[in-house]
Amino acid sequence: MTIEMTLPLLKDPQMQFGAITFFAKQHQGDTCGSNGLPLTPNSIIIVGRAQILKTIKNPYLCNYLDIIRGKHERTIVVSQYCGTPLINFIEKRPFSVDEIKRIAYQTLEGLKVLHQRKMIHRTLSNENILLQANGDVKLFNYGLFHMSDMGSLVSFPVLQVLYTAPEVYLNGLSSSYSDPKMDIWSLGICLAELALNKVLWSSLKLGQKIRKVTTLLQVDTSIFEKIAREHNCYEQYLELPEDLKDLIEECLNIYPNKRPACDKLIENPCFADFKVKPTKTISKICEPFQIFTIHELYHLWQLAGGDVFQELKKQGLIRSSPPVLSVPSLVLIEGTILGQERNPSTLYDPRIVQMPLDSLYQRFAHIPFPVFYPLIHCKSEIIAKFDPPPYDATGLPLIIKERDPEYQLHRVILLRRLLHGYPFTKDLIFEEANKDIPPFLRGEIWATLLNIKANYDIEYLRIDKFTHTTTDRQIEVDIPRCHQYNELLSSTEGHKKLKRILKAWVCQNSHYVYWQGLDSLTAPFLFLNFNDEAKAFACLSAFVPKFLHNFFLKDNSAVIEEYLCKFSQLIAFHDPHLANHLYEINFYPQLFAIPWFLTLFSHVFPLYKILHLWDKLLLCDSSFPIHIGLSVLTQLRDRLLTSGFNECILLFSDLPEVDIEKCVMLSMATFKITPKSITSRLHENEMFHKKTELDITGIGLEELKKERCSRISVNDVVRLVRSDFEGVVLVDIRNHTVFSRCSVVGSINIPFSSVSFSENVIENVGAQASTIKSKGDKVLVVIGDEETDLERFPEFLLQCNISKVCVLHGGFNTLLPITPTILTSTISI
Amino acid sequence: MANRSGAAQRPNGQTQGKICQFKLVLLGESAVGKSSLVLRFVKGQFHEYQESTIGAAFLTQTICLDDTTVKFEIWDTAGQERYHSLAPMYYRGAQAAIVVYDITNQDTFGRAKTWVKELQRQASPNIVIALAGNKQDLANKRMVEYEEAQTYADENGLLFMETSAKTAMNVNDIFLAIAKKLPKNEQNAGQTGNNAQGRRLTEGDTGPKTAGNCCK
Ligand SMILES: Nc1nc2c(ncn2[C@@H]2O[C@H](COP(=O)(O)OP(=O)(O)O)[C@@H](O)[C@H]2O)c(=O)[nH]1
Ligand SMILES: [Mg+2]
Repeated sequence: MTIEMTLPLLKDPQMQFGAITFFAKQHQGDTCGSNGLPLTPNSIIIVGRAQILKTIKNPYLCNYLDIIRGKHERTIVVSQYCGTPLINFIEKRPFSVDEIKRIAYQTLEGLKVLHQRKMIHRTLSNENILLQANGDVKLFNYGLFHMSDMGSLVSFPVLQVLYTAPEVYLNGLSSSYSDPKMDIWSLGICLAELALNKVLWSSLKLGQKIRKVTTLLQVDTSIFEKIAREHNCYEQYLELPEDLKDLIEECLNIYPNKRPACDKLIENPCFADFKVKPTKTISKICEPFQIFTIHELYHLWQLAGGDVFQELKKQGLIRSSPPVLSVPSLVLIEGTILGQERNPSTLYDPRIVQMPLDSLYQRFAHIPFPVFYPLIHCKSEIIAKFDPPPYDATGLPLIIKERDPEYQLHRVILLRRLLHGYPFTKDLIFEEANKDIPPFLRGEIWATLLNIKANYDIEYLRIDKFTHTTTDRQIEVDIPRCHQYNELLSSTEGHKKLKRILKAWVCQNSHYVYWQGLDSLTAPFLFLNFNDEAKAFACLSAFVPKFLHNFFLKDNSAVIEEYLCKFSQLIAFHDPHLANHLYEINFYPQLFAIPWFLTLFSHVFPLYKILHLWDKLLLCDSSFPIHIGLSVLTQLRDRLLTSGFNECILLFSDLPEVDIEKCVMLSMATFKITPKSITSRLHENEMFHKKTELDITGIGLEELKKERCSRISVNDVVRLVRSDFEGVVLVDIRNHTVFSRCSVVGSINIPFSSVSFSENVIENVGAQASTIKSKGDKVLVVIGDEETDLERFPEFLLQCNISKVCVLHGGFNTLLPITPTILTSTISI
Repeated sequence: MANRSGAAQRPNGQTQGKICQFKLVLLGESAVGKSSLVLRFVKGQFHEYQESTIGAAFLTQTICLDDTTVKFEIWDTAGQERYHSLAPMYYRGAQAAIVVYDITNQDTFGRAKTWVKELQRQASPNIVIALAGNKQDLANKRMVEYEEAQTYADENGLLFMETSAKTAMNVNDIFLAIAKKLPKNEQNAGQTGNNAQGRRLTEGDTGPKTAGNCCK
């Protein structure tokens, strides 16, 4: 028995893609928009508009894969490209009537999808209808008119001269005339060429061709017949079956309103044989299942070194000319540039460059087929024997893993399958996300980690995103300042989407208000779900209650103050040295950490860093950001320790390069070892943090502000004593008499009254000083009661640079009812 | 964020002599260009897509005035009304304030007047207040007349200039004008880099008590 390699799957003839390139229209000189901001480059607007094309999935339409910007408004469109343009067969081989009907039918199915989405192809021709080996067709390059906003963003006309409907010429090429019926005319010409097996008016020059098309308007008999006669094909015309002739005639109706639309034409009985039963699509987090998609192939191709730019250069579509040749002849003082026009013939290049896949095939040649079935757990011995060895990438840095094509192949395959099983596979997704999150599926995975429900889109549809509110001005001035280095977020489409999501959020959360920073918080979700605004909104809506509960209240000061206090306490817990220094120079979190926590770092880091940070955040809880804050300080520790107030605060006004992977590791480490109650807060969302009487409750802000060391709950102390006794030092500061009557097993006694706080030296605690000094990383729990001062002693330890000091919440008496007891002897109460 | 870089440009070189430190705060409606003014003054840069300010940002810049070196400690605040509750934390103890509005937007001028009133009521009594009508480069979209603002400034004893962070017009000048107007007596002269600077921001300390101790 042999195990097939994956290659047949990858080598699917339809799994091929190519690229075209053109220039977007350049803005003249230094012009500003009405808001005083510079105009968005047209290529960026195009990138934004083109994104939606990637979501079009139809067997008769090539998939759009990517839109890339180059220098000087160059735009490159990458899309599936497979099969052969019909034009290559015309006059070379005969077409059967059935074949033509099938082509007509499938083209109409493709057009229908576009028209339903309010898009017009505009350039349909036999050059971009691709015939596949199996006889199906696929339309190529149907999105140009849409992405260029009806041609207004480019300075070349978007049309195929001969195939363009006459009314388009009559309305003028730059008019905003857009009627989907123009595509039906183009289809008519395509079909006429096929039926007559003749390239129409091939010998005419450009201007003559246009005149030809417009003179068809004067024909008062059959247009198809007239075309046939002009090409000496009248005999052939007569031989065609009536239904095909009628179909073509209908398409070539000179009145757009009398020309039938796609829906109507598709119902034509002559297509009865080619109809495929429509399959029902169900709204889910993930699309209908496919073993392997062309989007995945393109992603892996890029990881394996594929570079669209290089390919276009190799084929001569992109040529770099020496800069001296592009120096303008004249520059006016207000910035207008003259004499640097681009040669109009280079604005649009009709060539298509097929991307080579050979090196990818080679790279994946050794991968056996079963890799695509990672979820089969019960196998016969024979099959199991052929199982691929697991691809081991553990221990590699995240950056390397993310760029390893083979590792990503395994991850994407596994996780997409798990996503299809959501919500039943929720735990498995969580487990995998814990290892790492493949960037290709990040948007979907985040949505599942946030427990997004399947009907999220309907919910979003229902929200009012348009009524004017008093928040609008603030949202409008914030959006053009939000992560604008990113193409998607700076595109016109991106601005519109962000505005709608924010307005929807404000509308939906009447108990909250819009705080500056909410824009940054939304940005990562929009970036990941650019084509699914509703999902971005759903993620934001699930994210806020989980991680930023009550942070957006109109008066959020209590919530934020508490959070910042907890941050100070966590610094003290893990790094007393740093905490003492910052305390001495009055460097309070209020002065620098508000944007950190209010936006969960989305306002301070660039997007790519936020993504990695949030990959982990989503697996943790609302205390995690405090640990991130600590890890940032830890990275800058040396500089902070040697700096005064001004230098420290300047450091944070201009946050220096922070290594995000280090940051993630440090914060995960402290997050794991810190007892949960150290970071517990009054303002936590109870939905995610259930509390009992053995947890910390009821600490007001005033009280909290006085405490430099955190409290620890009875629950955590009991857990530590029972399961990790080696990791804890219990210091009982009650007086000796009560201590000897009853105490926690193994605790040491340092009566509060015996300690002199005059200087910060640990020796002042007496005989137990060495125990404390040599405790290392153990948690030090201070146990007292009403008689003892529960602030002075722990603060003293902190000032002596003792780490992990915390105070038992509620004091010794809370330990009495614990069963089984952890006390030396019980006393009757 | 990612695009903040570049070497600082000092409008003036350092000299020996007396050194004075002053705390200056920028106030004004969101998006009028407060952060842009500071960035222009401190680093000589302008970013079209300047990120919004959350909470506040701190920067310093030193300029020379005759034989005196004046060091500004600048607190650039968030403009949104909601962050208002934080503002006292920053203007408390400040010796100077620049209240900024956008000449292309009448509402921001109204908001500037409110800030001036609040400062007159709540801040240190001797605070030097300057009014900056920013985005002067967009004068063709002007909604606030120069004369109107000038009259208002005169009535309230404010310094006034129209500025442009984009073209740098009047940016150094407004800071310089403030520096000139600030008292540079013996009490204010001293060394820089004092750790006590931050203390003036804390809640417990009130403005007047510490206003004079900026340079010890
Ligand atoms: N044309 C022009 N735009 C400016 C000027 N100053 C700031 N801006 C722009 O106005 C917007 C808001 O500026 P910002 O400094 O963030 O305002 P802040 O919220 O008051 O700090 C940004 O897009 C700036 O690029 C100026 O003098 N002229
Ligand atoms: Mg600002």
